[in-house]
Amino acid sequence: YSISIDHYRLSRQAGINQRKKLFYFPRGNDLIHVSPKLNPLTPAMFRTAARRLLGAGFTTSRLLRLPKPRPTTIIPYSYCTSSTESPIGNQSVNPNQSDPTATSSSTAREEGHRRDENSRKPRAEFEEEQARVLAASLRHVPRLGWTEEAMIAGSRDVGVSPSIVGSFSRKEAALVEYFMDDCLQLLIDRVDSGLDLQNLIPSERVSKLVRIRLEMQIPYMSKWPQALSIQAHPVNVPTSFKQRAMLVDEIWDTVGDGASDLDWYVKRTVLGGVYSTTEIYMLTDNSPEYRDTWAFLDDRVKDAFDLKKSIQEAKYFAQDIGAGVGKSFQGLMNGVMQTMSTRGGRSSAF
Amino acid sequence: MALRSISRRFGSRVLSYRSSSVASLHSHATSFGFQQVKEEEKSKLVGNVFSNVASSYDIMNDVMSGGLHRLWKERLVGKLSPFAGMKHLDVAGGTGDVAFRIFDAVNSVKRRALRKVDEDSLEETQIYVCDINPNMLNVGKQRAAERGLGDNKSLVWVEGDAEALSFDDNSMDGYTIAFGIRNVTHIEKALAEAYRVLKRGGRFLCLELSHVDIPVFKDVYDLYSFKVIPNLGELIAGDRESYQYLVESIRRFPPQEKFATMIADAGFEKVEYENLVGGVVAIHSAIKL
Repeated sequence: YSISIDHYRLSRQAGINQRKKLFYFPRGNDLIHVSPKLNPLTPAMFRTAARRLLGAGFTTSRLLRLPKPRPTTIIPYSYCTSSTESPIGNQSVNPNQSDPTATSSSTAREEGHRRDENSRKPRAEFEEEQARVLAASLRHVPRLGWTEEAMIAGSRDVGVSPSIVGSFSRKEAALVEYFMDDCLQLLIDRVDSGLDLQNLIPSERVSKLVRIRLEMQIPYMSKWPQALSIQAHPVNVPTSFKQRAMLVDEIWDTVGDGASDLDWYVKRTVLGGVYSTTEIYMLTDNSPEYRDTWAFLDDRVKDAFDLKKSIQEAKYFAQDIGAGVGKSFQGLMNGVMQTMSTRGGRSSAF
Repeated sequence: MALRSISRRFGSRVLSYRSSSVASLHSHATSFGFQQVKEEEKSKLVGNVFSNVASSYDIMNDVMSGGLHRLWKERLVGKLSPFAGMKHLDVAGGTGDVAFRIFDAVNSVKRRALRKVDEDSLEETQIYVCDINPNMLNVGKQRAAERGLGDNKSLVWVEGDAEALSFDDNSMDGYTIAFGIRNVTHIEKALAEAYRVLKRGGRFLCLELSHVDIPVFKDVYDLYSFKVIPNLGELIAGDRESYQYLVESIRRFPPQEKFATMIADAGFEKVEYENLVGGVVAIHSAIKL
């Protein structure tokens, strides 16, 4: 996923330390160690990776993440430059570094070695070209669907041979993923350019953000089921899951709730559920301006917030029951032990 | 270890046998298998090889690779992802394997059904098959006739040299070369020509026998190459020398990384390679931007 989005936000928020804490110690308390199993894998990992790799310089241009299949080895980008070109500082980001499914170790070593020599320009060129093709393809999606035909039409618009479509690793999925990244970037831009959330209670803020995000999909609504099915392919699931996780993470951070420990996961999961169900509801909604969808959304968000309280109550309830059961169980065990010892005592005298 | 020394001794025996050509070396020498020959001679020697093997080329491919070469070519065409209205050039594609596959991919029923949606594909698909050896081209034309594509205007058979193509600049959407670049005298020239004829956004794909690095498998592969293949050549095609040349030229070809560097030096972007069967075959792909 696009690392620069996180860095973009990081640089504009004062609460950088707050975010960093989420990765290591959610409550800021040294006694609480987050086990590897519980580690939030995607957003924070990319944030720390972003800060490590981007260093001083960063750009606001979005980098399209291009995942690659396992057998392929990507040649380090220094190969793509002529020897006369001098590297432009430390600004290049090598997505291979932060990609957890990176390929053979020899590649990783070479890339680590060459990272310093990488120059920004040639790497960005084909990636930017691909991004341009994808952007142009989006215009054809309502008519042609999320298919290769749309991408071919898009490439013709940009003035590039349609052969370039063959170079996308998971063609239609690349288009859908680009769209998801694009929408997330738009959402962040909307928020940063002064969206008024101050007067709203948290549940209403969440509603508003989810609504803004879903409204971006309205032009493609007729073909959105196809996009969802593409995202559900096993090959594409890791990426689509990551993108949704980032989206949900962004929304919660914007709402501004200080999350801690297990709550962090519960909140993301619950919001993920709310978002997905609303998205699917929207597919079959024919009401004017999707009024029914927004009503559905508001109800679900309220349920989610109530859910938090109910979980708390359930926890206390379970504790009480546990205590009660524990006491009676204890009593039972004592009784059993007593009878056994007395019986044992009696029988030992045979 | 023993196998490797055997093959080295074997190779040096070939060298000493051909010492007469070694004696006439000057600064422009290139490799023809494990021999060193003059550059001018190489294309003639290669021409002889392929004139000899043309008639049994396809059968020998099947026998030597156990039919796997078909899968490799399918994968190559899959990676290319052909589209209707494409102008494609298949170099050293004499007998037409790759060209037929691309033709089928473009004209399959599924594609035809979708074609009416996209009005821009009114241009006709053109697949050019270029080969330096007329015998190979004749075999290809024969096979086309057998498939009923003898008169089809989409397939064009051209005789030409990979180092000096007769096509215009920026005229091709795709360029493939399957098991051919090994035989070219100056690989850089062929790559430069590929860069020249491709349009912006066009893709370069090269399928070639390459280097194996996996420890035990490497020795098995060497044994198979130097012991079994020349004997098969003698048995089936009646031509041991040509198949000896084949396996030697594979060893002489640059390894995957080096070849990828050469492709990048020619100006291509996004150079990648994929190893098949542990490195026995590698598909290099790149885009011209």
